[in-house]
Amino acid sequence: MSFDFSLVERALPLLLMGAAVTIEITAVSVAVGFLIGLVVGVARISQVKILRILAAVYADCIRGTPLLVQIFLIYFALPMVTGHRIEPFAAAVMACGINSGAYVSEIFRAGIQSIDPGQMEAGRSLGLSWGQTMVYVILPQAVRNILPPLGNEFIAMLKDSSLVSVIGFEELTRRGQLIIAQTYGSFEIWLTVAALYLMMTLAISRLVAFLERRTK
Amino acid sequence: MNPAETSCMISVDHVSKSFGELTVLKDISFRVKEGEVVVIIGPSGSGKSTILRCINGLEKATSGTITFEGVPVDSASHINEVRREVGMVFQRFNLFPNMSVIRNLMLAPMKVRKISREEARQRGMELLARVGLADKADARPAQLSGGQQQRVAIARALAMQPKALLFDEPTSALDPEMVHEVLDVMKDLARSGMTMVVVTHEMGFAREVANRVLFIDGGVVLEEGTPEEIFSHPKEERTRSFLASVL
Repeated sequence: MSFDFSLVERALPLLLMGAAVTIEITAVSVAVGFLIGLVVGVARISQVKILRILAAVYADCIRGTPLLVQIFLIYFALPMVTGHRIEPFAAAVMACGINSGAYVSEIFRAGIQSIDPGQMEAGRSLGLSWGQTMVYVILPQAVRNILPPLGNEFIAMLKDSSLVSVIGFEELTRRGQLIIAQTYGSFEIWLTVAALYLMMTLAISRLVAFLERRTK
Repeated sequence: MNPAETSCMISVDHVSKSFGELTVLKDISFRVKEGEVVVIIGPSGSGKSTILRCINGLEKATSGTITFEGVPVDSASHINEVRREVGMVFQRFNLFPNMSVIRNLMLAPMKVRKISREEARQRGMELLARVGLADKADARPAQLSGGQQQRVAIARALAMQPKALLFDEPTSALDPEMVHEVLDVMKDLARSGMTMVVVTHEMGFAREVANRVLFIDGGVVLEEGTPEEIFSHPKEERTRSFLASVL
């Protein structure tokens, strides 16, 4: 078979727009996931038992079910409960953010637990509260350890965001599907889509490596 | 509360502590009066550090009571009250590596005592000068030697203007040539009237500075007395053999 370059050329602007949407949804989802992960990660090691239990249940439920099913639950099942239709973008960000939050909470928990317990003791012995010691002493140190796994989570999220194509949200993968439906150029388009994902993930991993060197 | 109790600052009454099956402290009692320097000596694993950690609530006594100026170290709010007044110096310094030396000294006074940034900085600089490290204010803890880090840790504890200081083997993690600089700061503090409870293996320090020495072994206070009594005329055989092995 022959590779139709002109097809790639014509499709590229549309695919690039899809790639931009993919980056957008990934960035917003990771930001949401970061906030959820921070709160849940700290809750997992808090001194309040009920918080620890709730946080563990959340992390286990989300990590133990497929993201695709979570997307369906939020886009199709949730409106049946609330009675309000949900926009594809909102559903996508919600599903990806909540999903990412569970993984990021594990990253925060591990990052916090990697800090010498003597740091918390020193803070407490000075009269600082648990929360104050966490905010001023532990988390600033933990964030440095957290950066590499957080970068990996960003990359994983970027790839997993292709799943939201199933609810018709027009990110990179969905754009590819739509173009193929018109042109039948499966081979050219999927290869281009894959190349675009690869370029984005490589760029992010280089960026993370750069940031890691700077914070050392 | 009877008058004898009010005159003592720290009171440890029949305190026992177990970690699961392991009993570390058995029915320990002693008092520390204001301005007193009490040095606790004893073999490794005898429970010396655990006593200090119980006094400021880092460990919870299994039974018995500990009070600081009449406040029992039991509930979270009481423990916080006591921690504001009792500083602690750790074996491994535990400085905050994510901030400069002066910020280490400023953090707790600003957040706990609510004093202004300027006042905290000024007080911090005075304390750094007192421990001979005014020129290191903007350094990171990791850039300092062990002895310097421990002097900063002492200054950090002092920044809260504590009524008493607990020292948990403050020179054990130091290279030998750095021990004296830390001990000098501690001697200076003792002379200035600071109430101190010091767990240490430095017998010279105990002899020179202590008002009272407690010899602890196997989780019990085996012998208690002046440095003269403990070091020159130990009554217990265990004390004698311990001193013979370390002196």
